[in-house]
Amino acid sequence: MSHVLTIEPNGDSVEVAEGQTLLDACLRSGVWLPHACGHGLCGSCKVEVLEGEIDHGDASAFALMDFERSEGKTLACTARCLSDVTIEADIEEDPDGRRIPVRDFTATVVGLTKLTHDVMEVRLALEGAGMEFQAGHYVNVGFPGIEGARAFSLANPPSEPALLELQIRRVPGGLATGYVHERLAVGDQLTVTGPYGRFFVRKSSPLPMIFLAGGTGLSSPRAMILDLLAEGRTEPMLLIHGVRARRDLYDQALFEDLAARHPNLTYIPVLSEPAADDGWSGETGFVHEALQRHFPEGFAGHKAYLCGPPPMVEACIRTLMQGRLFERDIYTERFLTAASLEDGKVKSPVFKRL
Amino acid sequence: MNAPLKLGLKQRYSLLTSGLDWTPSYQPFEKIYPYAEFEGIKIHDWSKWEDPFRLTMDAYWKFQAEKERKLYAVLDSFAQNNGQMNLSDVRYVNALKLFLTGVSPLEYQAHRGFAHVGRHVPGVGPRIAAQMQSLDELRHVQTQVHTLSHYNKFFDGFSEFRHMHDRVWYLSVPKSFFDDARTAGPFEYFIAIGFAFEYVLTNLLFVPFMSGAAYNGDLATVTFGFSAQSDESRHMTLGIEVIKFLLEQDPGNLPIVQKWVDKWFWRGHRVLGLVAMMMDYMLPKKIMSWREAWEIYFTEAGGSLFEDLARYGLKVPKYADVATAEADHLSHQNWATFYQYCHAAGFHTWLPSAEEMDWLSEKYPTTFDKYYRPRFEMWAEMEKEGKRFYNNALPQLCSVCQIPMVYTEHGDHGATSFRVSDYKGEKYHTCSDGCKDIFDGEPEKYSQAWLPVHQIFQGNCGGAGLEDVLKWYKLNLGADNLQQAGSPDQKLWDEWMAAKDKVAG
Repeated sequence: MSHVLTIEPNGDSVEVAEGQTLLDACLRSGVWLPHACGHGLCGSCKVEVLEGEIDHGDASAFALMDFERSEGKTLACTARCLSDVTIEADIEEDPDGRRIPVRDFTATVVGLTKLTHDVMEVRLALEGAGMEFQAGHYVNVGFPGIEGARAFSLANPPSEPALLELQIRRVPGGLATGYVHERLAVGDQLTVTGPYGRFFVRKSSPLPMIFLAGGTGLSSPRAMILDLLAEGRTEPMLLIHGVRARRDLYDQALFEDLAARHPNLTYIPVLSEPAADDGWSGETGFVHEALQRHFPEGFAGHKAYLCGPPPMVEACIRTLMQGRLFERDIYTERFLTAASLEDGKVKSPVFKRL
Repeated sequence: MNAPLKLGLKQRYSLLTSGLDWTPSYQPFEKIYPYAEFEGIKIHDWSKWEDPFRLTMDAYWKFQAEKERKLYAVLDSFAQNNGQMNLSDVRYVNALKLFLTGVSPLEYQAHRGFAHVGRHVPGVGPRIAAQMQSLDELRHVQTQVHTLSHYNKFFDGFSEFRHMHDRVWYLSVPKSFFDDARTAGPFEYFIAIGFAFEYVLTNLLFVPFMSGAAYNGDLATVTFGFSAQSDESRHMTLGIEVIKFLLEQDPGNLPIVQKWVDKWFWRGHRVLGLVAMMMDYMLPKKIMSWREAWEIYFTEAGGSLFEDLARYGLKVPKYADVATAEADHLSHQNWATFYQYCHAAGFHTWLPSAEEMDWLSEKYPTTFDKYYRPRFEMWAEMEKEGKRFYNNALPQLCSVCQIPMVYTEHGDHGATSFRVSDYKGEKYHTCSDGCKDIFDGEPEKYSQAWLPVHQIFQGNCGGAGLEDVLKWYKLNLGADNLQQAGSPDQKLWDEWMAAKDKVAG
């Protein structure tokens, strides 16, 4: 039987399977907790249990002292849930993150637009007042007859809470995305749960912003930029959107128009493999290469928001860091796919969020 | 909609400790921190340091007091129950001698080093961190000495550990490692000990010794291991924070830090050769081979670490590939050396039994049978004929790691690995490309190294004969040294076991 683990001070909640450790459940859900040895000896992952019952597991008597046990401390790397549990971990509260409870909705498909040969824009109407969210959040969508929900970032700004826009690329062989492209019709009903995620604009910071998007990773930066411009923010913003060829590029007219009307917005589409007949005279190469060309002096003094396939995100993180922008100013959504859970790679404790 | 926010642990800690740093007014900054700049490290903003030690002094004493109570309760019961008689075999005690003479004094060196760095590094966060680690290290050496003092009641080779550490030839290997770090600047010390040693290599030192103790019935040592390891969260976090901080502060710090990471990885790897030999040859009940430990703790864990650090442009330490390839040879070459020189060592040696050699063949399928088994079999033959081989020539030492020049060439295991540097008209020998690079990087430092063999030849070690030198080492001839078979340790153990059998009937 699984339990719900809530992590304060951020208020994230994750599901913990029977026998699974708190740390494992958190890391697999993209919630970072401090940790080092991973087997109950060093004490780096000590947390406080605020509510619920846990089993300490194999925590060393030296890493988790008796008086700490009686004070409600435990080690996340060995502890297991015996009920729903709330812990307080040594992580920082983000003043720009809002706490919005996750809810279930029934959504009606009100629009389907083919953005490219393999990207579909799905517009969903929610009943009632809709769903509060922050630009950058994602939702889980359930499709009839398909097991398990799929996560999609919201592409529209939160000013329209009763309307959700998703940009869905057809994954070759993908059950759910195949359904979207082949069978989904206007008027169909889907279940939607959300909002989720820790990816949002740090609006309390006045620093200029860099948005880096790969493929349909555009959706979150799109929502963020629309939201910021609608609020009248005047900080310089740069959007680099990377796709393979001209036929993969979408929302070009939208951003060209926005850039024409807002002098603080710069828009750079970049193609990694333009086709011979694309007639492309714009930027070519990968997103991180365009980024490097645009900032020969480095990136210090910016905030960067990254969304896209993991290799693109990793290449951009390296470019940003070697150009003097570090973890505290880099934000990205970590989508955990079946593949990323199975690669079993040991993550070092060097970085918290990236 | 937003629920009221609670103050996080980190915020609470920072409110408690803020304002501990102030701008000096009586003395200029450079006079207070005279070592802060000569290494070339540039720090622009100390406030960017993220303090990994969210622990106040009163809480610290409370934690450490309970750890001590637990440990000493175990030590008492181990002593009262004659725990030494439940060891897997008396040969195991030699691993403890190596630990007490070679490793425990390093804890003391770490204590001194962190105290020094805690005084000399500008920036309040790392100063507090270094001071607290300094106290931890002092606690570690004390608990280790107390734990192992029980063995000193029965066995040879323990009593003069402190004296031996400063004088005995092979103990200059770990000693010079720490001397080197402590005579460097404060930032290099942080990278050398805080990062390279405490973070990258610590598992290869402590896990083998502590698991070895657990497998061989030494509950006392296991317990001090757990007790020390529970302090490691702070030490490991400090090591990581230091390297991140230096790399983020200034782009000019990267090449300096890279050079230190290369140097201290290689130096640490050389010191760990003693652990390799302990795991493969000295433990009566083996845990895993050195090769396997290296795969888990360096190749895998270090691999993910350096993959993340690559984001800063930091590369995997130079010669990590050589160290990984040579993991198939290291322990065998070291044990063969101690076998030949155990008349001048503070512990006993023996030849691996037939079963142990089969285990080694299985763990080292590409090297043991080809290079090392024939040598051990030949020595066994010689022992049978009453011609036990002792090497009576003093070995040449590497000017950096101070290990005798016994290692073979990377990629050519029939040739001795041998490098030479010229400095101010003198020749200096090193055992590998890794050590030669280190020598050439700071020849003035290493040309002054106190090399045990040179010192013997110069007449600084009590005399010219073996007995004179051993006396100067405070090494008890005929008891502390020579073969395990025939030693007083073995004799005592055999009596205990015979008495046990008698009781058991």
